[in-house]
Amino acid sequence: MFDQETLIKLHRPRANLIANVILFMFSLILARLWYLQVYRGKQLLNYSLQNRLRREEIEAPRGMFFDRNGVLIVDNVPRFDAVIIPQYLQHKKETIKKLSEVLEIPDEMIYKTLSKKSNLASYKPVIIKKNISRKEVAVIETQNDELPGVAVDTCVSREYIDREVGGHLLGYISEISSTQLPKYRNRDNIDYKLGDFIGQAGLEEQLDLYIRGQNGYEFVEVDATGRRKFRPQSMSDGGGEDDLFREIKDRPAVPGPNVTLTIDRDMQLSAYNALKGKEGAVIAVDVNTGEILAMVSLPSFDPSLFSKGFTSTYWRSLTRDPRRPLRDRVIQEHYSPGSTFKPLVALAGLEENAVDEKTEISCTGQFPLGRKVFHCWKKHGHGPVDTYRSIRESCDIFYYRLGKRLDIDTIAHYVRALGLGRKTGVGLPHEVGGLIPDREWKKKRSGEEWMLGDTISCVIGQSYVLVTPLQLAMAYSVIANGGKLFRPYVVKKIFYNSGEVVKSYSPELISEVKLHPKALAVVREGLRQVVNEPKGTAYSYGHGKGLGIAGKTGTAQVIKMSAEKLFSKCEEAEYKFRHHALFVGYAPYDEPKIAVAVVIEHGCHGASAGVPIVVDVVSTYMKKYFPELHKKYLQQEKAKGILMKAPPPKNIIQEEEDTEVEEDASYEEGPVGAAAATGQRNNNVANGSVGNSGSSGNSSSNISKTGAGQGGLGKKMTIGSRIGTGIGNEGVGRWQGSGADSGPDGPESKIEEQGDDE
Amino acid sequence: MNNSSLPPKYIQMLKRYDFSFFGTMIVIFIIGILNLYSATHATSDKALSELYKTQIIWFFISLSVGMIVSFIRPKTLFRYSYVFYAVNLLLLALVLLIGVKGLGARRWLDFGIARLQPSEMMKIGIVLVLSRWYSKFDPEQEVNLKEMIIPGIMTLIPALLIVVEPDLGTGLILMLVFFTITFYRRLQWKTIVILCLLGVVTGSVMYKFGFKEYQRQRVITFMDPWGDAQGYGYNAIQSEIAIGSGQIFGKGFKKSSQASLSYLPENHTDFAFSVFNEEHGLFGSLVLITIYIILIMRFIWLATSVSNFYDSILAMGLMSIFFWHTFFNMSMVTGLLPIVGIPLPLVSYGGSSLLTFSVCCGLATSVSNSKNLF
Repeated sequence: MFDQETLIKLHRPRANLIANVILFMFSLILARLWYLQVYRGKQLLNYSLQNRLRREEIEAPRGMFFDRNGVLIVDNVPRFDAVIIPQYLQHKKETIKKLSEVLEIPDEMIYKTLSKKSNLASYKPVIIKKNISRKEVAVIETQNDELPGVAVDTCVSREYIDREVGGHLLGYISEISSTQLPKYRNRDNIDYKLGDFIGQAGLEEQLDLYIRGQNGYEFVEVDATGRRKFRPQSMSDGGGEDDLFREIKDRPAVPGPNVTLTIDRDMQLSAYNALKGKEGAVIAVDVNTGEILAMVSLPSFDPSLFSKGFTSTYWRSLTRDPRRPLRDRVIQEHYSPGSTFKPLVALAGLEENAVDEKTEISCTGQFPLGRKVFHCWKKHGHGPVDTYRSIRESCDIFYYRLGKRLDIDTIAHYVRALGLGRKTGVGLPHEVGGLIPDREWKKKRSGEEWMLGDTISCVIGQSYVLVTPLQLAMAYSVIANGGKLFRPYVVKKIFYNSGEVVKSYSPELISEVKLHPKALAVVREGLRQVVNEPKGTAYSYGHGKGLGIAGKTGTAQVIKMSAEKLFSKCEEAEYKFRHHALFVGYAPYDEPKIAVAVVIEHGCHGASAGVPIVVDVVSTYMKKYFPELHKKYLQQEKAKGILMKAPPPKNIIQEEEDTEVEEDASYEEGPVGAAAATGQRNNNVANGSVGNSGSSGNSSSNISKTGAGQGGLGKKMTIGSRIGTGIGNEGVGRWQGSGADSGPDGPESKIEEQGDDE
Repeated sequence: MNNSSLPPKYIQMLKRYDFSFFGTMIVIFIIGILNLYSATHATSDKALSELYKTQIIWFFISLSVGMIVSFIRPKTLFRYSYVFYAVNLLLLALVLLIGVKGLGARRWLDFGIARLQPSEMMKIGIVLVLSRWYSKFDPEQEVNLKEMIIPGIMTLIPALLIVVEPDLGTGLILMLVFFTITFYRRLQWKTIVILCLLGVVTGSVMYKFGFKEYQRQRVITFMDPWGDAQGYGYNAIQSEIAIGSGQIFGKGFKKSSQASLSYLPENHTDFAFSVFNEEHGLFGSLVLITIYIILIMRFIWLATSVSNFYDSILAMGLMSIFFWHTFFNMSMVTGLLPIVGIPLPLVSYGGSSLLTFSVCCGLATSVSNSKNLF
């Protein structure tokens, strides 16, 4: 072969050549260094001392929000901040004193702000006061000789036209926090910097990446006191020392696209005004599309303050407020549905053939089970109660009986098909999913078996059952539109000023629930009677308005009560122990258009507290969108002679009111245990368990008619006879009778989930 | 024989051990770590100001790995050249599939305890595989265009994989390493002239007619988002101001205003040399560049003094990794070349790059040690 040594010798000239080339290339670098450091050294040193060239970020204006009719809801307005640039600050004492006079803030505060930011690069402006007035701007600008190092920064701030109306829905923006910074950088793959504004709640958070636009930058020259100079045009022609900056180019900011919401501003305002002064939530949806028309939660906050002169005191006042104004009660709060749950149970009973429209029981006001006695809200009972009346007058005993017939798993299956027990997927951040319990859930959660007593509590919407107002509105929409479960949504489209549409949203059918027309008709008629028949729980507040509202009142206990307390007046209780008031309904009952759910915390009575709000919202809607229909209903009611002119007399309220009762006669008053009626104070528990129940609910595809109801019945009879109440036996007898009657020709089980949630 | 002392075999080995590579490397690293501390100490960002500690830890890891590598015999290196290359190629492909993203580029593989950049290891992989290829086939002949094709493809595949990550700088380094090795392996002058003409013609045609100014800029920005993330020209100018303001003797240790006022972006990675110049001036650079030249010449000297042709090409290849990094980084921050992200060996912050250069030194030491065996 070949001799390696000779071979390497053969290559030596190349190695030498390489070495020489390398030396030559390094000498090029040294020559360049000499040019920079010796030939231009002085000049560049001057530059470094002044560093006159600064790169300034131009914040892109975020997209604006419009309501469904194009009315501006969220706008961008200029904001001026007074800043100090420490690098150029001279005569520190006098300047700060002068500045404190101009801005009318104590000079200690300025010193404090400055020392807090002392670790920043000294050319970076430190904000002394945000959102200064135009007068203050003028003073600083005109007296800049006396204020070296003080400047005015202009930036864009968000203006929420209606302030705290719908604050939760719109959300707010604020500066990204240092804990969020790495997380969001990773998530969005955007190089966020401290001081950047990002959406922190509601739509501002949800749509942040869409509407934030793209920041630009410009290169500005500053003079010796830190004020920016305009780059002379001649600079770009080159020449002299300014040649250095010739290649530098600015990048303009790209504004974010705008957003059209499904919200109607007028309805939003009327919902807000009706709820004002109370704590609670109002949600109105279009039953045929799932579009959200109004969404208000109170107490609220003013999102404008977050981006404009926002002070930490305001933030502290919000986070420390025991009423938790930052929480969106429409989707982030769990409530016991109370009696508003009953029509859903009735629907399950009708579908399962456990009752029909002819079923009648006798309500004596008491329902013994084991050693416990469950009460009806009406102390001495309703007497004979059929399905219509059970909804109209909200008889508890009827549902206790029905609960015994239906297994909890069956009830859970039906109400879940209506969208309860899982997130609605509304496209807003931090939605909670509610809770619809079943046997498996309880077993998993506490290791205990499901008891009949649990069912009894659940059928009247107490105990473990937890919902959000939005879920209730959606469930009632399903009843109103005949079985279509839509995904609720708030954003119609996202579009640029040029008209280019980035994304548009349309109604999305989650599932079509096959409900038997007869079952549906019974429940709907019951709901109609609640508002439109004289005995109905919401009659005094809801009838005669020409709106055709159908719905159900509800009252959710906050704490467990003894029998004695139970029948005392709610208003006399301490505020925090008062019941939550609910009303859920839709209108008009013949051809439903809109569903509304209202929760008033500690509002005591669903009728007196909830119904007037629904009336306000629905009438705004009807007058605006269906004036003809409104007129038609008005005339109908006039013909019937039930047009209401004056508000109802006060004394009738208490009688027409419903109060769910789930109590143990021997127990002391105390917080309702488990998950339960106080779940809204207890979201962690509920949230954790929702996942379990949700998955179990979805996996059980088709629940056949269960025999558990019958088994429970037998068991109860023996217990009943042992205790010897007699009432129970009588009731059971009726049940058996009616059940047998309706058996052959009763409606078949028809619920099927067609779609599925993810 | 004294049992407590080392066996004569090891004493022999230790006597033979060439400390020149690691010695120079440690000197440069010490300069680098002081520079890193100076560039970052002033910032309020805790993550940044503590970086020098991470860098020291990385250095000891890298040094250990380099030392271990230095005990691998060149024969073993020769045998496993292709395997090493193939594994690296696989890792590169894996990066594109499951790599971890950071600020727009997908360059890392996450191994739980540490993230690694396979593109770094590929620099060594390419040197090993080219050394083996060129040492084998007919070494007495000059290399012509046809014979360049296969090694060319062997380089182009990983280079393209790296460029789409995107990491233009490293892809460029691979190509330059390939040309350096091929040149050393006696590439015909005729072929060199042809290649140069071809390069100049296509380059100028593309420059003149193919692209518009903003498109050219966009290509570079796209290929290397780190290189010019802050806006065209701004980095380069701030870097020039920093270097120039250092004048002859510099502003002194920890006295750089450009860097500490954070006018100069990435002052601890790609722009470390600017900070060094601002603080130590032309005089300091002269010293630092001299040390780099010493290290590079040591590689070339090794290449010409070994008795095995594979070892010779290997040494030249390792040299080219060092040289091109140094040259490109320095040209870039002084404004001689456009900015693409290439670190300054042993000075810029970065664990993966430290490891690469330490392994380079380890390989060279191994070659140096083995040449005395004969």
